[in-house]
Parts: sequence; C-alpha cells; structure tokens
Amino acid sequence: MAISEPTDAPDDGATDADGGTATADSADVASETATGEHYLVEYLRGHVAHAFVVAFFGLYPFAHTFLTGSLVGAEMAMFLPRVQTMITVFYFGLFAMSFDFISGYTGYLSFGHSAFYGLGAYFVILVANGKVPLLGSGTPFMVLLLLAGILAVVLALLMGSVAFRLTGVYFAMITLGFAQILYVFFSNWDYLGSNPRDGIAVLGRQDGFSIGVPYVDSLNMSIGQLQGDTFTWGMDFAAMTGIDALAPISHTIVLGPGEVSYYMVGLVVLVCYFMLQRIVHSPFGRAMIAIRENEERARAVGYDTFRVKMGAFAISGFFGAVAGGLFTGYRTSVAPENSFYFLTAGDALLASIIGGFGTVAGPLFGRLFHEGLHEFLTKEGGGLLPYLRSQLGEGTLNTVIVDGFTVAEAIEVFLNGRAGLYIGLLFVLFVLYVPNGLLGTLRGYLGGTVAGQVAAAVKRRVRGWKL
Amino acid sequence: MGDQVLRTDGLTKHFGGITAVDGVSFALDSEECCALIGPNGAGKTTFFNLLTGELEPSEGSVEFHDDDGWHDLTGLAPHETASAGLHRSYQITNLFPTTTVRENVRVAAQAHGNATSRFWRNVDAFPEYVDEAESILERVGLSAKADDVARNLSHGEKRQLELGVALAGDPDVLLLDEPAAGVSSESVDEVVDLIRNVARDHAVLLVEHNMDVVMDLADRIAVLHQGELIADGPPTEVRDDDAVQEAYLGGYDPDAPTASDDGGDGSGTTGEDGGGVA
Ligand SMILES: Nc1ncnc2c1ncn2[C@@H]1O[C@H](COP(=O)(O)OP(=O)(O)OP(=O)(O)O)[C@@H](O)[C@H]1O
Ligand SMILES: [Mg+2]
Repeated sequence: MAISEPTDAPDDGATDADGGTATADSADVASETATGEHYLVEYLRGHVAHAFVVAFFGLYPFAHTFLTGSLVGAEMAMFLPRVQTMITVFYFGLFAMSFDFISGYTGYLSFGHSAFYGLGAYFVILVANGKVPLLGSGTPFMVLLLLAGILAVVLALLMGSVAFRLTGVYFAMITLGFAQILYVFFSNWDYLGSNPRDGIAVLGRQDGFSIGVPYVDSLNMSIGQLQGDTFTWGMDFAAMTGIDALAPISHTIVLGPGEVSYYMVGLVVLVCYFMLQRIVHSPFGRAMIAIRENEERARAVGYDTFRVKMGAFAISGFFGAVAGGLFTGYRTSVAPENSFYFLTAGDALLASIIGGFGTVAGPLFGRLFHEGLHEFLTKEGGGLLPYLRSQLGEGTLNTVIVDGFTVAEAIEVFLNGRAGLYIGLLFVLFVLYVPNGLLGTLRGYLGGTVAGQVAAAVKRRVRGWKL
Repeated sequence: MGDQVLRTDGLTKHFGGITAVDGVSFALDSEECCALIGPNGAGKTTFFNLLTGELEPSEGSVEFHDDDGWHDLTGLAPHETASAGLHRSYQITNLFPTTTVRENVRVAAQAHGNATSRFWRNVDAFPEYVDEAESILERVGLSAKADDVARNLSHGEKRQLELGVALAGDPDVLLLDEPAAGVSSESVDEVVDLIRNVARDHAVLLVEHNMDVVMDLADRIAVLHQGELIADGPPTEVRDDDAVQEAYLGGYDPDAPTASDDGGDGSGTTGEDGGGVA
C-alpha cells in the first residue's frame, strides 16, 4: 500500500512508513537527557503535537458553546460539529484506527473488520441484558470492554488462520465473508431479543455504562445520551450559603451528560491511540511495515510473517471491539445494520483514506472530516440547508433562477438529502489528489511523522532555553 | 578449504512437465566462493529457491551444518532457513522500497533476534540493530545514502543495498543471484571487489553470467544445464570441460538428455521471474 507521490521523498530521511527519522531524533533525545534535562520535560517536548491535539479536543465543548452563542453563532453552528457528533467521531475514529492498523501498516485490507466492531457492540449489550452466562448484568463497563477485546482477539486469530493463508484481495474477501456470516447470524438469532433484525437495546441494567476505574464508584463517570452523569466543577458558594456577597467567587462549570460522555469516551480513545502508537513504533511495528513494503523479502530476511500478521490482526481486532463496545455503551442499542454490516468497514476505509492510510491518528481526523462534512450538508445539527433557509429572505428564496425554478427549489434539489453524493465525490477527489490523506500529506511536507517533526521543530526553537 | 556448510542430495523440482532442477547433489564449503553458472533457464534461481525454502523440492534434501552438526532444512520456510544462517540476494532487486536505506538493513538485522515480539518497547531501545545496519552500510559503500528512501537509489546502489540486506543478521552462507545484473561495465569492478570482500567471512554461492567476474572470484565452478549439474570443479578445469563448452560457453545443445522437458532456453526470459513466485 505504498501510496505516495513521487515528490514526497525529501532528502532528510522522510519515509511514508515512520522509517529512520525516529532514530535520529532519539539520538538527540538521549544526548540532551545526558546533559541533565529532566526526563519529563524531554518527554513532553517530544509530544508537542499530541499536547496540542489533546488540548484542542479538551477545549472543544467549551469553544463550541462559546462560539455558537456568539454573534456569529448561526454560522458557527453550521460549521462546527456538535459535541454529540464528536463522540461518534471518537469511537468510530478508534474503529477506523484499528482498521488502519492492520490495513495501512501490513497492507492487508481487512474488509470484514466490522466483525470486531459488531462483536464488541453486541457483547456489551448482551452482558448488560444478562444474556451471557457467568457475567452478571452489572459487570463494570471497563471490564466488558476488556473482555470484548479479548473475545475479538480470539475471533481475529480464527479469521486470520484462514485468511492469511491467502494474499491481497483474497484476504479481503475471506474476512468479508466472516463478517457477513456474523451479520446474518446476528440478524436472525432469536436469543438476542424478539426482533433481532431490528437490533437490541439495553433493558435490564439500571446504572448506565461508566468509564473509569472498575469497582471504584467515585472514579467512574456514566456515559450515554440519557443515563450519562453530569459533572460540576467548582462551588456555588452563594447558592450554598444564601449569601449573595459570595457571588463573585462562586464559579461552577457544569458538564451535561453529553460533555461528560465526550470526555470519558475521548479518554478511552486517547489511551487506545497511545497504545497503538507505541506498537507502531516498536520493533513489531517495523516488522509490520516491512511486510507491507515487501512480504517476500520480509520472509527471506527471517520474519515469520504469518505470526507477525496474526499478531497485528489480533491487536487490531482488540481495538476494533473496544470501539464497538464504546459505541453501544454510549448509544445503549445496536442493530446488525450499524455494526456487523460490511459498510461499517467501508466507512473505516473512507476515514483512513481521507485521514491518511498508514498513519495512526489519521483515521480519526478522517472521520472527523467525514462527520463534520456530513453534518454540514445535512439538516441535523445546524447545517448549510437550515442556515440558508433561515438566512435568505423570502424574496431571495422565491427568486426564479431559470424557467420557474426558484432558489428555494434549487437548495432543495442540491442540498436536501444529498450529503452522501458530495461525500462520495469528495472521496474520489481525495483518492486522486490527496492519495496520502490529510496526515500523510502533512507528513510529506514536514518530512517525517507529524508528531516527530513538530517535536524536532520545537526542539530547534527552544535550544538554548533552559527549562 | 573449510568443512562443508551446506549440502543437497538429489534435489529436484518439477513445474508441471518441466524439471527445473534435476537431481542436484552439491556441497558448499564454509570458506569458499563457488560460482554457479548455466544458460538462461538452467534452473539456478530455482535451485536457490529450493535451498532457502521459497519453493518446496519435489524430491531430495537440503542440509545445513552449524556448530551443532547437520540440520535438515528440507521443506522449511524461508524465515527458518534465514534464521539458520542461509541468506540470499535477488536477481531482480527486491527491497523495502519506501523505507530508508538504513531501515532496510536495520529491519533485516532485527529479524535475527527476539526484539520483534516486544511490541510494547520503542524501536529505539534496540540500538544494536542500528549499529549493525550502519556497519553493513559502510561495508557495502552506502553510508552516505543511509537516509535516502530505497526506491530513489540508482540501480547500482540498489544492487549494493540488495547485498547489504542479505548481509544483515550475520549469515553463514550467502546465496547471491546475479549481484551484478544490470550494472554497467564500468561499475562491475566495484561489485567484484565487494563480493570478494564479503566472501572473506562468508561461504558464497554466486550465480553470475559474466565469465570474467566468475573467473576472477570463484574458487570453484558448478555448472547447471537444464536442471542438471553437469560439471563441478576448479575454474580452469570447468572452463575447459567439453560438456560445459558445448552447453553454456559454446552454445545450445538440442540433443540434451531431457529433450522433452526442453523449456530451458526457450523460456529463459520468463525464467527471470522465477524468483518472484513464492
Ligand atoms: N514458479 C515457476 N513456475 C513454473 N516454471 C518455473 C517457475 N520458476 C521457474 N520456472 C521454470 O524453470 C526453469 C528454470 O528457471 P530459473 O529461473 O531457475 O532459471 P535461471 O537459471 O535462474 O535462469 P536465468 O539465468 O535466466 O536467471 C525455466 O524453464 C523457468 O521457466
Ligand atoms: Mg535466475
């Protein structure tokens, strides 16, 4: 899958594949640390790009509230994805990352990746409904995520043991076959509920799904659209004491269920991202890249490529199932259509291509792009269509463009329900003109992984400073 | 001459009706540089593929000698023969194209250790493979290109890297499949020097068409013709051998014993792709 433009190979050791540049950086890090820099300072400096991204997502709900309430609120609401949309970006982004982990790094297109997503999704709900033997319906959500992941590892090894005997398109087809079998099976399995085809919802469980440290209540926060916790930070002294004079020091930040879910789901995804990133930059990750680059040679230099691929697939399946678990943890319902169905993997492919195939974080940004655009082009969450309808006056809307065809009608024809069309078109344009995706292209310009290059740039800037 | 390090017994490979390698019994000494010659389609690359396990032999055996004695390699997978100490380079350049030159060699070196299973450690925690890569690049003359992306190298440099990747992991035996293929005549001497250099501390089996190179480097010459080993001995002796003259150095012999399987010269050009089929 070595998609890349001929021009993107600068002399300074850039590779599409996280190649040698990291090594040069680390030599720097080692020598500077030797000069007495605190390890933590070094570490943070190496993760400047990550810090920015985390800060961006951390502040997003506040920024969103602030901006949509401002003078240009209508415009902002049109462009900015809602917080609840961002939650879907998180868990689906994680799924897309897990898809890209196997597909983008070893070159094996896991077209049946929805099998893992569905497995995680259904597992969580089945336990919550008391339908899994030995597991009580109150089993902590975090434990469920872990178990779902482990189950997915088993499934991945099973699928891989068949599919990795073949290469290329056959691998994609075999995994797709597995996913379709599960799709049909879960669509017809009466044990799940009265109407398995329409999906199932959480019935039994009283307390929602919470993220945090299992079995320690105070370190958990419930997620979900309805059952999510709220969170209040700071103290309203004035209200507590009834003394109005304390108003100036009474500041509270209240997070609704949406925001709490946003942060908690985001936290899990962040942890998973760092795990995936760590693996990609490990010797194991390099072996995965070697397989993508040239499997025959990888084998010839001594890699048991079957084992490496099985390991990579298992890891990828694990995170795919965690993503599926988050999905139902937040939504508290699942249907075969939005989990096991093969187009789920298609959406992950889309996110990976847009964000950057063979990059760790790319698929998350790809999904953000996709969801953001989707929301912009649909009526939900304040998109272009309601914006134009409300902002353009009656007169403009009724203006005839040509032959009795009014502006209002034009808006209707070109915008209402056409999101899929434009996104499809954009996808084609991406493949043609941005084959490396958002992050891959940025990497090409910077000449190395984005995180690595930003860190190096900061290091150059602050050389001489003493922290 | 050292002890034997690699030997085959009656090694045979059929492709449908074609017998690409036909009952070859051959041995390689641990300190020699032996050339394997023969016309296009004689079965040289197929012979390599049988040794490394990229192809499974129809008949016969491959054995490898290390400190613990003889080991049967027959039917083992390529990564197992590579771990045993049998490395090869390819007739058609076969690298990791979009990674750097250094990473090409580093990742090959990493294969020979237990680092690969450490998926939670950073790759920088294993500087020994970087060091090994650097010293190999120095040896094959690519130090200055270490940070270049492999596919951007010139053809000659790719051939050097091809050898560098094979050297990683300190093999006992190097199987070099036409290392000078496509190298311009001015640069051939550099390749010859390089092979002579690596032959000092490796057993080398070298496939080469250029007879000047062969006479220059080889301690011994083995000749394959239509899959059969028709001569095996000191260079001058083999060069003057009538059968060899006729089969290879002279010309094509239509009355060869395996006339019915005569895919040899006719499909010699497609034979170039033989190594790619795994
Ligand atoms: N995978 C394969 N399937 C079928 N036939 C093959 C295969 N590989 C090689 N052959 C045939 O086996 C014979 C030997 O091919 P091989 O590539 O070993 O020759 P060679 O001596 O390396 O030739 P060259 O000097 O051209 O590289 C040829 O007739 C070739 O067509
Ligand atoms: Mg050949």
